[in-house]
Amino acid sequence: MTEAVFHIRRGGEADDPEERFDRFRVGVRPRMTVLDALVAIQGGEAPSLSYRYSCRVGMCGTCALRVNGRPRWACRTLVEGLGGEVRLEPLAHFPVLRDLAVDMGVFFDKMKRARGWLEPTGEAAREPVRLAPESPERRRIEPHIECITCGICYAACGMVGHDPGYLGPAALNRAFTLVADSRDGAGAERLAEVCGEHGAWRCHSQFNCTEACPKGISPSDAIQALKRRALAEGARALAASVLRGIAPGSGRPAA
Amino acid sequence: MDSARAPRPTARPPLWDLTAWRALYPGMWAWVFQRLSALAILVLFPIHVIYPYADWIRVTMLACVTWHAMHGVKVLLTDFGFPARHQRKLLAALSALGLVLFVGLAFLHRGYWRFLG
Repeated sequence: MTEAVFHIRRGGEADDPEERFDRFRVGVRPRMTVLDALVAIQGGEAPSLSYRYSCRVGMCGTCALRVNGRPRWACRTLVEGLGGEVRLEPLAHFPVLRDLAVDMGVFFDKMKRARGWLEPTGEAAREPVRLAPESPERRRIEPHIECITCGICYAACGMVGHDPGYLGPAALNRAFTLVADSRDGAGAERLAEVCGEHGAWRCHSQFNCTEACPKGISPSDAIQALKRRALAEGARALAASVLRGIAPGSGRPAA
Repeated sequence: MDSARAPRPTARPPLWDLTAWRALYPGMWAWVFQRLSALAILVLFPIHVIYPYADWIRVTMLACVTWHAMHGVKVLLTDFGFPARHQRKLLAALSALGLVLFVGLAFLHRGYWRFLG
């Protein structure tokens, strides 16, 4: 059985003030995941080690952390491919609760700021309306709906690190699925929020979110689509105001 | 809230932390280098105006401007709908095109290479 050395970032708490990397040697079994190793470490040398997981099979997104600098799911990352030295840290850009466990509150607050829920309008306000799977509208939304809010894109994003107020890829991706949905009635308000100073225009097209997303979602595409929509809305509003200005009976006194 | 449980922000990795640099993705490196090339152009341009025939400045300027422009084209294309999930391929293609342009232009003005002797 081969061995891997895990360097786990710990400490920095009131009752455990020293920030450090603790080293643990773990025997590597075939197909062993980083989560398996964490369970083994906690069951042996470090019973107080804090980390999160729930489903263990890549469905819930709870176990996200940084493996050798990159945000990944512990349950879907094989130890074999990591080269014997594994560095584990909590997700970047989140407040740390303890060891590898972070406080996701800031992330879900931003989902709320982006109004990440359907506000039905018209027919949809009275009863559920189906979007035909083959319709162009549904096809545009389709690649963006599988998000399980694990926070990996948020931790990978350079601009979230630069501007803590930035909504981030997940919230903007969610907003896009709603802005592009004809059943949603909050379009203008939502677009104003998600295309404001801390919204889509903060994205600098670094594509970290798209690279990191374990579900294969491309928040970058959603954000670019939001920018184009905002641009179109802005152009329309500008054209309308210009036309009002030159149209007869627009309220301007005659010269 | 119990102070022992009060959450605190994750520390940013220091600049000299190589793990953090190694963890960057290609799109992020492209972004970093485009910013660096912008700074390089800002410095080189006035020198180029003062010493217009200094070959090492001309060839460095050409390299920086080509890279900067190619990445600019990438941003433009992704802004107007090029799928971001294929941005690695776009980056590779435009980098190759930039290299061809750089070598081609440098050969057209063979004088660029005089400083090599």
